[in-house]
Amino acid sequence: MNSSLFFNRSTLLRLLSVTLAFMATLSSCREILEPPPVDLLVDELVLNEASDVEAVRLGLYNAFRGIGAPLVIAGSFTADFIQHNGTFTVYNELGNKQITATNAAAERYWGSIYSTIYIANFIEERIATVPGVTEATKKQVLAEARFLRGFVNFLGAHTFGGIPRVTTTTIATNRNIPRATREDILNSVLADYNAALPDLPNTNANKTLAKTFATKNAVRAALARYYLYQKDWVQAEKLASEIIATGLQTMPTDIATVFFQEVDDETIFEVAYANNSSDDPGTSTFSLNDVLRGRREVIPANTFILTMLEPNAGERRQTISFDPTRQRGRDNGWSVVKYGSPDEANNNITIFRLAEQYLIRAEARAQQGRIVGTNGAQADINVLRQRAKAPNASLTTQADALLTIEKERVYELSFEGHRWYDLKRTNRIQTVMAAFSPNWNEKFTLWPIPQSEIQRNDALKGSQNPGY
Amino acid sequence: MMKYYGRIWLLCLLLTGISFGVLAQRVITGKVTSVADGSPLPGVSVLVKGTTNGTSADAEGQYRLSIPTSGTVTLAFSFIGLEPQEITVGTNRSVVNVEMAESATELNQVVVTGYNQTQRKDVIGSIASIKSDVYKDVPVVGVDQALQGRAAGVQVSQSSGTPGGGISIRIRGNTSISASNSPLFIVDGVPVQVGAVSGRDFGGQRDNTLAIINPNDIESLEVLKDASAKAIYGSRGANGVVIITTKRGRNNKTTITADVQRGVTQIIKRPQLLNSSQLVELQREAITNAGQDPDKQGIIAGVTDGVDTDWVDAVLRQGILQQYQISAAGGNDRTRFYLSGSVRDEEGVQLNNRFTRYSGALNLDHKATSKLSFGANINMAISKNNRVKGDNFLDGVYSGAIKSLPFYAPFNEQGQLYGPNSIGYAGFPNFNPVAQAVLPRFVTHGLKMIVGVNADYEIIKNLRFRTKFSMDYNNAEEDQYESSGTAIGGFLQGVGGKGYGVYITSTSYTLINSNVLTYYLSLNENHHFNVLLGNEIIHSQGRSSDVTGRLFPSDDFTYINSAGIVDAGGSFFGQNGLLSFFGEVKYDYKDRYLLGFTSRYDGSSRFGQNRRFGLFPSASAGWRISQEKFMENARFISDLKLRGSFGFTGNERIGNFQYLGTWASATYNGATGVGPNNLSNPNLQWERTREANVGFDASFWNGRFSVTADAYSNLTDNLLFAEPIPLTTGFGSIQGNIGQISNRGVELTLSSVNVDREVRWSTDLNLTHNVNNVAMLANQDTLFRGYSGNGVGGTNAVLQGQPLGTFWGLKFMGVDPATGDAIYEDVNGDGRISPEDGQVIGNAQPKLFGGFTNSVSYKGFDLSVFFQFMYGNKILNFTNTSLLNTGSDIQDNQSIAALRRWQQEGDVTDIPRYVLGNTYNSFHSSRFLEDGSYLRLKNISLGYNLPARWVTRAKMGSVRVFASATNLWTLTAYSGPDPEVSTLDGSTTAQGIDFFTLPQVKTIMGGVTVKF
Repeated sequence: MNSSLFFNRSTLLRLLSVTLAFMATLSSCREILEPPPVDLLVDELVLNEASDVEAVRLGLYNAFRGIGAPLVIAGSFTADFIQHNGTFTVYNELGNKQITATNAAAERYWGSIYSTIYIANFIEERIATVPGVTEATKKQVLAEARFLRGFVNFLGAHTFGGIPRVTTTTIATNRNIPRATREDILNSVLADYNAALPDLPNTNANKTLAKTFATKNAVRAALARYYLYQKDWVQAEKLASEIIATGLQTMPTDIATVFFQEVDDETIFEVAYANNSSDDPGTSTFSLNDVLRGRREVIPANTFILTMLEPNAGERRQTISFDPTRQRGRDNGWSVVKYGSPDEANNNITIFRLAEQYLIRAEARAQQGRIVGTNGAQADINVLRQRAKAPNASLTTQADALLTIEKERVYELSFEGHRWYDLKRTNRIQTVMAAFSPNWNEKFTLWPIPQSEIQRNDALKGSQNPGY
Repeated sequence: MMKYYGRIWLLCLLLTGISFGVLAQRVITGKVTSVADGSPLPGVSVLVKGTTNGTSADAEGQYRLSIPTSGTVTLAFSFIGLEPQEITVGTNRSVVNVEMAESATELNQVVVTGYNQTQRKDVIGSIASIKSDVYKDVPVVGVDQALQGRAAGVQVSQSSGTPGGGISIRIRGNTSISASNSPLFIVDGVPVQVGAVSGRDFGGQRDNTLAIINPNDIESLEVLKDASAKAIYGSRGANGVVIITTKRGRNNKTTITADVQRGVTQIIKRPQLLNSSQLVELQREAITNAGQDPDKQGIIAGVTDGVDTDWVDAVLRQGILQQYQISAAGGNDRTRFYLSGSVRDEEGVQLNNRFTRYSGALNLDHKATSKLSFGANINMAISKNNRVKGDNFLDGVYSGAIKSLPFYAPFNEQGQLYGPNSIGYAGFPNFNPVAQAVLPRFVTHGLKMIVGVNADYEIIKNLRFRTKFSMDYNNAEEDQYESSGTAIGGFLQGVGGKGYGVYITSTSYTLINSNVLTYYLSLNENHHFNVLLGNEIIHSQGRSSDVTGRLFPSDDFTYINSAGIVDAGGSFFGQNGLLSFFGEVKYDYKDRYLLGFTSRYDGSSRFGQNRRFGLFPSASAGWRISQEKFMENARFISDLKLRGSFGFTGNERIGNFQYLGTWASATYNGATGVGPNNLSNPNLQWERTREANVGFDASFWNGRFSVTADAYSNLTDNLLFAEPIPLTTGFGSIQGNIGQISNRGVELTLSSVNVDREVRWSTDLNLTHNVNNVAMLANQDTLFRGYSGNGVGGTNAVLQGQPLGTFWGLKFMGVDPATGDAIYEDVNGDGRISPEDGQVIGNAQPKLFGGFTNSVSYKGFDLSVFFQFMYGNKILNFTNTSLLNTGSDIQDNQSIAALRRWQQEGDVTDIPRYVLGNTYNSFHSSRFLEDGSYLRLKNISLGYNLPARWVTRAKMGSVRVFASATNLWTLTAYSGPDPEVSTLDGSTTAQGIDFFTLPQVKTIMGGVTVKF
C-alpha cells in the first residue's frame, strides 16, 4: 500500500503528544525572552525612591571625578612643565605643542564636563518629586549638583571658551546645541555657585567625607578662583579671607603631608579614589600616577626642574624626584611624584586647598597695591615659604610682587592644574610659552573643541576654536 | 457535508483496495547489501517503476513486494547517498538481490541543509560542500582554518601565526558594523559558540573556541550561502551558516584508524631591521636635525652600538608540531558508532608559546524498533594554550622584539635576564622581550563540550518526528602570573611592582531543544513533497569571575593565595534566549521543476518589547534543464540546473539589554552609587538582510567537468549600530537600527578531471568577487574606527558610499626634495594640514579571492598542490608608524627602509627626513598603506599508499604515508613579513591592519595513517 492520507486514532494520539511537546516549550517563553538584567538598573527605576538619592549623588561625584585628571593635564601639560617621554599620541601632542582637535585629553575633558552636567540636571529635574526624602537632604543634594555643574562649566569656559550650555536631560535638545558665549557660561556659573552656597554644610564630622564632598568652603574656593580669573580683586580677596578665617582647614607643617597624603588638613575639596581596590584609575590612559610615574609618558622639563631646585622652592622640590637609573638619552631621569599608586594611599586629586587661598589673596592684594604689611601680599607668600622651609620673600614693587606670586604658584601648585590657566589670565602666556617651545602657537591659549563633537553636533559645525 | 465527503473517500479507498485485490499478484523478495563489504543496507526504497507500489528494506536489508503476475516490471532501488539502480524483473524471477554502491557522482551526494538533508541534485539554494578529505594532510588547528580557499564566497583570514589564535570568516562579505560578522556554526545540529571565550586579547590576538574542535573528527562541512538555504536559521542566518557533520559509524565491520603527524614550524618571513651602527647613525642624524647635540644625549657611534642584538632572532625558534589520533568506526544494522581520541601539540615559533589539545568524540546511532531510533553525539576537548603577549602591547614578545633597540642585550654578563628596572637596560617603553616571553605564565585552559541526544520516531509512514536536546559548553580559565622581572609584574608600581597574578574563569553554555516533524509525500511518482515543521528553544548563559593579586613575597610564589594585596575582582552573570518556529516545504515535479519555501519566526531576548519577534521567509525555484526531453540529445551534459532564490535573514548578535535605558554601578571613594549607562531604545531590532541569488550547476561528461556559478545581491538594513552622539548629551552613543550595507558579488567554482587514466589529474578552482558598500548611514559623518591616527581622526572610517574596512588618513604626496618633509594633500585648501584634511585612502576589501587546487594521483601516489589568493585589498602597515617614525621618537628600532630616507637637498625618496620630536612627518597617511594582494602556496602534500600486498601481509587494511608543507611560498608586493595578518582580531571595520602582528608560520611535516 502506498502511504495513506489518513490517520487512525492511535496516530492522532501520537500527533497530539507531539503537539503537546511543542506547547510545553512555549510555557517557558517568558523566561527565555525576558531574562532580567543582573547588574543594571532600568531608567524608570532611578531616583524614584528615597534610597536612590544617595546612589545618584555618588554617581554625580563619580562623573565629576572624571574631570580631575584632564584638569591637571590641561593646566600643566599644555604649559611649560613637561616634555614627552612615552608613546601615547595624546601626550606627544601636548609635550611637543602640536595639539590637534583629535587629542584624546580634550575629548575626555569635554566628556567629563557634560556627564557631570547630565546627572546634575537629572537631579535638578527629579529631586523635588522623590517621595520620603527630607527637604534638607533635597536641598543639599541639589546644592551639590549645582555647585559641581557650575564648576565644570567654569572649567569649560576657561579651557575651550564658550561651550554649549546644557540645561536639561533631553537628549534631542542636547544633541544639537550651539556654543554659548563665554559670558553666558560664566554667568550661569555664578548663579549656580550662589544658589549652592547657602544649602551646603560647613563641614562633616567625618574628615574624609568633609573633604571629598562639597562644603561651603569648597564653593567659596570656587568663587575665589572665579573672581581671581575675572580680575575682581576685592571679591577674590574677600572670599579667600573668609575661607582662611573659618579655620576648618589648616596648614600641615610638613609639605610632604600635603603632597603625599590624602584628605590632609589642608584640603578643601578633593576627588576621591578608594585605595587598594579596583576603584583606582590603574593604568588607564588618564591615570596620573601611571602617566607621571609608571609609564612616565611625560617627565618634567629641564627648565621646570631648575625652577623647582631653586632655594625659594624649599621643600616643595619634593614635587619631583630623580632616579639615576632612568637617566639616559633624552630622559633626564626626573619624575613628577605628586600622584601616588593605590598602595601609597595618594591617588586622590586635589581640587581646592588652603595654600591656593593664600596665593589668591596675595595676588588680589598685590593687584590692589598692598604689597607689605599684615594685609599685604608678602605676608601671605611667606606663610607658604615658611611652611616649605624656604627663605622669606621680601617684595618691593607691584610688578615684582606679581612675578614672585606667579613663581610661588609654580613651587606650590605645579601639576595641580593651574599653570596654563594662570598664564592665560595674566596675559603672560605668549611670552612664557614662546620662550619654552619653538612650536608654541597663540591658538594653544584655548584647547580645541573635540573633532568628534563638531562632527556629531550640527550646531557646532564651523565653530572650532581659531587655528585648529 | 463533511460526512458525505468522508464516505466518498472511504469508497475510493475501498475501490482501490478492491482493484488491487482483483489483480493477480506475485511476490518478489530480496536482500539489499553494500557492494563494499556485503553488509545489509536497511531503509533502501524499492519501487515498481511507473507506479506508486513500493516498500523499503528492513533492518536486515530484506524486502518483500507484491507485484502483478503478468509482464515484466522494473524495480527502482534508491537511498540517499547511494547510487540508484533499476532492475528489470522478468515473469519468472522472484528473488532479486541487489548490491548498492555509495554515490560516486556529486549529484547524489548527501547535502546537510540544516534540520534536514537532501541530495545535491535537489538543492536549490547556494550551498558549498567540503569533504574533510581535502584537508587531511594539512595541519589545520580548527575547522575555520580548514575552510580557507576551499569554497567560493567564503573569505577566511588567519589573524596571526599564533597557534590556536583567531580566524576571521566572512561569507559573502561583511554585513554588519557592530554586531558579529561571524557565520553561525552548527555542529551536528548544535549551534556552537565561535570566537573568544576568555576576555583577554593579549594586544589584539584572542583565543578561539573553534580551535578546540578536532577537525579530523569531521566528515563534511556545508556552507549555506543564500536566503533559501539560510532562512531556516532566521535571525541568526545573515552571516551565513556553516554546518559541520562529524563522522559517524557505518553499517559494516569495525575499522580502526591510527594517524600520526609530526613536523616543524617556522615563521614565514622576518622583518628587516637596522643593526646597531645603522641605528646610531640614524638617531644622531635625527637629533642633529632637531638642532640638538647627539653627544649630549649619549648617542655616540662606537659606544652606543657596542652591542648589536638581533631581537627577533632572540625570541623566535623553530617549533614542533605533532598530532596523534586513533579512531574506530563500525556497527551493525541496529547500532553504529564512531569513537576517536586525539592529541595535538603545537609549539609556537615564539618562545614559550604552545597550544595543546586533547579531544575525544563518540557518536552513536541505535535503531530500537523499525519506527524508533536514538542517536547521540559527544564531542569533548580540553586545550592548554600557553600564550604570550603581542601586537599592541609594549611588553609583547614578537612586537617588543621588533621595536627593541639593538643596543641592549637580553642577558647580563652573569647570564641573567635584564629586568625592567635593571641598570644597563633601556627603560620604558622598552622591555626585554626575551624576559617577556619566558618569565610570565599566561595559560588559557579551554574546555569545550558539544553534546546532543536525539530520538526519531516514525509516527506513520513518511511522517517523522525528531526531538533533540543538546548543549554547547565552553569554559576558559586564564591562569596568569607576571613575575617581578616583567613589565607589569616589576615595572609599574601602580599595578604590580612585586609580581602580578590574575585568574579569570569564564563559562558560557547554550542549551538547545529542537522538535521537528518531517513528512514526505509522493503523488503518482511525479509530485514530491518534503514538508518540515519545527520549533526550537535556545537558552544561553555566560558566567565569569576574576581576581587580581599583587605584592608577592617573591617570584617563587605565583598564585594569588600568596598575594599581599588582592584588590580587584568581580563576577558576572548574563543570559539570553531565542524562541523560534520554522517550516519548510520543498516540492518537485518529476525531479525537473523544484520549488522551496522556508520560513522562521524568531523571538529574541536581545530586542525591545516592540520588536521582539520577526519573520524570515524565503522562496526558491530550480529547473533541472538536463531532465527535459529536448536535452536528451545533448548527452555530454550530465546535469544542468538553474536556481534562483529570494528571502530574508537576520542578525541578532549584539550584546544583551542594549534596548534598555540603564544605569550601572558607579563608585566614589569606595562607596557605590549608580551612573548613567545606556540610553533606551524600545524599538531596537535585528538587522535584516534581503538576499537574492541566481545561479546554475552544470556537469559535463559524467561529472568530468563541473561548474557552479552564483550571482547575488544582498542588502542588510536596520543596521545595528551604536550611533555616536555628541557628549553634550552626557552619553557617547545610542543603540539604533540605522543604515544599510550591500554586498553584491559573483562566485564561480570549477572542477575538472583533466586526465583519468592510470594518472588521474584533477583541478578545482573557486573565485569570488564581492563588492561591499555602506549604502546608507543615518549618521552622515565620518565614524572613526581602528586606532587613533596621529594628526588625523583614526585609521579607519565608516562612511556612506564606502565599504566596511575603509582606511582613513592624510594622502601622502611624497617627500619634498628641497626640505625632506612629507607633503600631504591639503584637501580643504586652507594652506595647512589639519585633521580636516583626512580622506579615504583605500580599503581592506579584496576585489577577488579564491583557491586553486591540483591533485594528481598515480598508482599509490597522490600529490596535492593548493594555492590561495587575495587580490586588490589594501593592508595598513601600522607597524611602520613605529619602524619608520621619521624620528618622532628614538625609542624604537627602525626598518631598513629608513636607509633610503631623505638626507640632503635634492634627494628623491619616499621616506621623509628624520627629525627628533617631529610628529608632522609621521602623521598617519597613505605612506603606511600598501597593496595587500598575495598568492600563497598554502599547502603542498605528497602521499603514498603502500601496496596492498605488503599491507595485508602485515595484517593491516591500508597504510598511507605523506609529507606536507604549508605556507611554503608567497608572492606579494607587501613590504611587511606577511600580508595575511590582522591585529584587531575579528574586527570588521578595522580589518587588515598589521601592527606588530606575528606572521603566519610555515609547517613542514610528515605523517602515517594506518587502517586496520
